[in-house]
Amino acid sequence: MTRVWDTARRSRLARLARASAAVGGGRWVDPGRVTPLLEALLEPGDRVCLEGDNQKQADFLARALARADPARVHDLHLVMSVLALPEHVELFERGLARRLDFSFSGPQGTRLAQLVAAGRIEIGAIHTYLELYARYFVDLTPRVALVSAIAADGEGNLYTGPNTEDTPAIVEATAFKDGIVVAQVDERVERLPRVDIPAGWVDFVTVAPAKSAIEPLFTRDPAQIGEVQVLMAMMVVKGIYAEYGVERLNHGIGFDSAAIELILPTYAERLGLRGKICRQWALNPHPTLIPAIEAGFVESIHAFGSELGMERYVAARPDVFFTGRDGSLRSNRAFSQTAGHYACDLFIGSTLQLDLAGNSSTATTSRITGFGGAPNMGADARGRRHASAAWLRAGREAQADPAAMPRGRKLVVQLLETFREHMEPAFVERLDAWRLAETMGMALPPVMIHGDDVTHVVTEEGIANLLLCRTPEERAEAIRGVAGYTPVGRARSRRAVEELRRRGVIRRAEDLGIDKREATRDLLAARSVKDLVRWSGGLYEPPARFRSW
Amino acid sequence: MTPGNPGHLPARRSYREATARRRLAGILDPGSFTELLGPSERVTSPHLAGLGLAVAFDDGVVVGRGLLGGRVVLAASQEGGFMGGAVGEVHGAKLVGLLRRAERERPAGVLLLLDSGGVRLQEANAGLVAVSEIMRALLGARAAGVPVVGLIGGGWGCFGGMGIVARCCDALAMSEEGRLGISGPDVIEATKGVEELDAADRALVWRTYGGKHRYLLGEADLLVEDDLAAFRDAAAALLASPRSLDEGALAREHERLARRLADFGGCTDAADVWRAAAVPDPDRLPLLDADAFRRAVAAARGEEP
Repeated sequence: MTRVWDTARRSRLARLARASAAVGGGRWVDPGRVTPLLEALLEPGDRVCLEGDNQKQADFLARALARADPARVHDLHLVMSVLALPEHVELFERGLARRLDFSFSGPQGTRLAQLVAAGRIEIGAIHTYLELYARYFVDLTPRVALVSAIAADGEGNLYTGPNTEDTPAIVEATAFKDGIVVAQVDERVERLPRVDIPAGWVDFVTVAPAKSAIEPLFTRDPAQIGEVQVLMAMMVVKGIYAEYGVERLNHGIGFDSAAIELILPTYAERLGLRGKICRQWALNPHPTLIPAIEAGFVESIHAFGSELGMERYVAARPDVFFTGRDGSLRSNRAFSQTAGHYACDLFIGSTLQLDLAGNSSTATTSRITGFGGAPNMGADARGRRHASAAWLRAGREAQADPAAMPRGRKLVVQLLETFREHMEPAFVERLDAWRLAETMGMALPPVMIHGDDVTHVVTEEGIANLLLCRTPEERAEAIRGVAGYTPVGRARSRRAVEELRRRGVIRRAEDLGIDKREATRDLLAARSVKDLVRWSGGLYEPPARFRSW
Repeated sequence: MTPGNPGHLPARRSYREATARRRLAGILDPGSFTELLGPSERVTSPHLAGLGLAVAFDDGVVVGRGLLGGRVVLAASQEGGFMGGAVGEVHGAKLVGLLRRAERERPAGVLLLLDSGGVRLQEANAGLVAVSEIMRALLGARAAGVPVVGLIGGGWGCFGGMGIVARCCDALAMSEEGRLGISGPDVIEATKGVEELDAADRALVWRTYGGKHRYLLGEADLLVEDDLAAFRDAAAALLASPRSLDEGALAREHERLARRLADFGGCTDAADVWRAAAVPDPDRLPLLDADAFRRAVAAARGEEP
């Protein structure tokens, strides 16, 4: 008996034939016929990638799928990076889907936790972005991918524009393994600005009745940055960026890191750091980075996605951003995450909880939110082999034996105020993630960044350099030493902390020569969204919710 | 200035974000301010204590004497951080006392750094009486030849009774961020509905109450950047040119208001006023800095900027 070598291809042809019978032949599908199309294409238990990126969402296709008949479509296995829309959750509530492998759930975190507790959803794993994309090419390859683009031309080529994000990774995995790709577009045009996805990789295209949903997730209003955040930003700039000479980096998305971006043209400029720090970035086009770009700090930015309102500004700064021949941004989350992991010397981000080993987590017991990209960038790249001054110095500091084989280290900095909202201590003996793992039956507590990857913890009380700690006890004491008046901080040994300070493991603002009285909002290069617009010369066009004009 | 971006750097020391005391310190000659009835005197609101609410040792207003360009001025600065700068009995009495002292001592002028939502609801009657006493004392000082200048650029704006007090001054300087009005946006939305005024529409709120619109309507005499030094310069300039308070001046003001009503009475939105005032490119106005805005308005009015 001869083995059949093309079962997937045969299945694909059978599905296409069913689709043709259901909605007629051809690539273009009437938006009103998308639900019957999906019912014809899908088989129970199929692995489906429903494009939900960090920013853009294939929202029309999600709604069409959610309306499918559960008698025909059921037990789907969804593989998708971000579960953001109510329709995504509805797929599980209606029994259309049963299993989920994902990265981030953000606003749906609470409903997701409820569904898991009720046994309506099986979670395979919560991934980091790169990890999930990697599995698309190994053991989680989609049979059907439902993706989102801005426009298609007559042939079916797709333009994904500034928010290209995950689309290339999804389509590549699906199309080349005999899967089926369905795209929703905002419009059909004669001629695309550029081709992001070739027509030959796409099976069906539908013009959605409304533009696909997108959120300005990376806009931080400078008006909401406080003086404590300015102080922490000063410590980071002087105590870490200047100290190590950090030129290539990635920033998280909180107000803490926005404060750093906004004091580059003022504080860092005064310290003579322009051209020496923060030159090359893996970063979304943060509006708060505009002053640093205009002031000549930033030379290059590769972006995971885009940001609403930044389109014209980005297009007008092609030396800085990766733009297509057409002038608009081309983002790519898979490549940018890779860049952040391997080519950046530093990651800095905020967190909600940190334990005495330095493990950090944003998990709370009632929500399953996942990770997104922080763990890929906030992890030492063990496969890295190229040297840089910052990387080598971090490696030297971590090495107890000077004669051992030299190896660099990525700088991974966690920024947090000692108390967060409602006076909840940010430092804890035991992360909430443990309890979440127990109640949800997870194999692992969802830790965002593992303690052995964290090199520095920065609070309003100072910087703890964990690279210089030689034992777990020393590490815990260094963390207590910057944990302020939290129970964890008050349990410190005063003598041990003073000894760590003498060795430079703990550094206070005054040890760094920082005058706390200077930590005011006057140090911010922009104090409002309107200031950002002015810095951009009117090119940045913030969404209405961020305007007071 | 940064290369390629002349003028894009915002003000170095924000007036809006400064506290009441920092504003005074930034506007008066360095080290010249002496506070009267300061926090150490512990004169606090009797009404708030009775309601079990927190009190402030200065009742939300700082009053005292200082120098502006070497000349003696009396000054008051409302602290928006305490009950939104609202006027209670003690707060109001401190303002009245300062203005009566001005009438007696004849300083070079009085500066009112206004940052207030109006009368404090918890002591409404006392607050309302206080506001009328403030107006009387203010006009008394002016009648005695002491110019009174109001500065509006705080986060709470200047509303309710304090909005009326502001317009009793010789002159007002405002930043775009400052707001001036009688009923604030939330009050209008609560009483007349969101169709009348959507208080969450920040663009609508600022183009209706903000400094630029008030300047264009002739209610603010100077429009300045949100910068302590700019407010200081404006205060000095306005003190130097007091407005007469005689019958002729009142008649001229009434004429001006009648003309304004005729010109803009049909407008339903501030943007319509800007268009009717023939300011070029009205949609761009909110983005202009104070200087460029003044030039645009002067051009529309056919004045020298």
